[in-house]
Amino acid sequence: MRAVVSVGRRAVDAVEYAGGVFTLLLKTLFWIAMPPFRSRQLVEQMVKIGVDSFLISTLTAFFIGVVIAFQSAYQMQKVNAEMYIPSLVAISMTREIGPILTALVVAGRVGASIAAELGSMKVTEQIDALETLATNPIKYLVTPRFIALFTMLPLLTIYADFVGICGGYLVGVYKLGLSHTMYMKMTFLPLVLKDIFSGLFKTLIFASIICTVACYEGMRVEGGAEGVGQATTRAVVTSFILIIVSDAVFTIMFYFL
Amino acid sequence: MIDVRKVSKSFRGKQILNKIDLKVEKGETLVIIGRSGCGKSVLLKHMIGLLKPDDGEILVDGQSTTHYSGKQWNQLRMRFGMLFQFSALFDSMTVGENVGFGLLEHTTLSSRAIRERVEESLELVGLKGIHELKPSELSGGMKKRVALARAICMRPEFLLYDEPTTGLDPIMADAINDLIVSLHDKLHVTSVAVTHDMTSAYKIGTRIAMMYQGRIIRLGKPEEIRNTDDPIVRQFITGSATGPISDIQFKSLESVEGRPVPEPGA
Repeated sequence: MRAVVSVGRRAVDAVEYAGGVFTLLLKTLFWIAMPPFRSRQLVEQMVKIGVDSFLISTLTAFFIGVVIAFQSAYQMQKVNAEMYIPSLVAISMTREIGPILTALVVAGRVGASIAAELGSMKVTEQIDALETLATNPIKYLVTPRFIALFTMLPLLTIYADFVGICGGYLVGVYKLGLSHTMYMKMTFLPLVLKDIFSGLFKTLIFASIICTVACYEGMRVEGGAEGVGQATTRAVVTSFILIIVSDAVFTIMFYFL
Repeated sequence: MIDVRKVSKSFRGKQILNKIDLKVEKGETLVIIGRSGCGKSVLLKHMIGLLKPDDGEILVDGQSTTHYSGKQWNQLRMRFGMLFQFSALFDSMTVGENVGFGLLEHTTLSSRAIRERVEESLELVGLKGIHELKPSELSGGMKKRVALARAICMRPEFLLYDEPTTGLDPIMADAINDLIVSLHDKLHVTSVAVTHDMTSAYKIGTRIAMMYQGRIIRLGKPEEIRNTDDPIVRQFITGSATGPISDIQFKSLESVEGRPVPEPGA
């Protein structure tokens, strides 16, 4: 009986959580449409979220490109099909690895920092202070972060796709002995715009998830430093889970489209 | 005028405000005293709409705020200034940006005019030339004064103080009290201050209200409160651990441990 009650309570909590996040998303979209539009914070957030994530995106995407090329070479060499490695790298980077890897890296880096920053603002009453100064916290704090993530994550993803393919190129040309022409041809031949767009579409969903979950967690922090820490952890864990689950859903959807 | 009518509020089943009634008259400084955690700050946050009552209503200048939209609240909040217990300065901004925040967000004043107003507000609280500093570079007393400058920068009609002297040394606390009194005289604002610092309450209050168990149990001029024979108020203002406020019970170390306290070094 107690187990049933506990499962029931968890289910109620989960529904409440999902409702809270979704409501925040709707409010954010509403406030994005409402004036005034201030560019200063937006630029600030774009730098924090986009530009500052450049290096870590480069590193992860490059090495993943290298890894994909090597891993597939391991299999492909057995059947003398090395020439398909460039295609494999290109398609898996653009459709899958580029978007999800970048999203996870940004969720870990940016999601955590948003949750921690907003959480500290909440516990030190800065969010209350904003309200007393007749400023809506969603408009002032959430919308610039949302727009920044929504624009910077796709850009970072396109860049990561490119860097990943470069990683694969180095392995293909300098280790596996494919020619430059061959590598380029086999990269672009099978690649269609749909691959890139389906990847970018998912990226927009991931951006919404990262920002909304992190802001939601940050803005409902209670109980000081401990609360901020917990919220930060929850923001990252929840974003990771939601990113991977929604990725699976959209991958299945695009497979049938 | 702020009129709190039969307002109740509970958090997680614990009743904090219990049908509380309180009228703040125009131009006065009403001090709400009471023990920590008795709901003074909660009451203050209701007045500016940071918390919504479960029951009852709050009227500002005769207008009920119960069904206010976000926009109406923001219009009303332009007439309010609030000083938070731990200052709540935006730590990502400089002192100047903090103080001028309201003007920058809600007026079309030029940056030069805003700078002048910020300067003026900082001077009113006795600070000068700290525009470019970040809040993390300030001492507790300076933070409080900057926060006060931010609260008065929009020239509000109502000022709410949440524990204005808590956490300050006695000299700085007295300076803040002087500041509150002089701002009241200069800007003719209606103020509500929440505190458990009796020195401050006597000094700044034109009336004092004692809050206990979610209600106002006594309201009067400072001298009336000082000379009251209400045992609860007496216990509070004299700061005695024994009396009718009985939810404070300490166990002696002996009774906790069940044996005498050991001598140091024994």
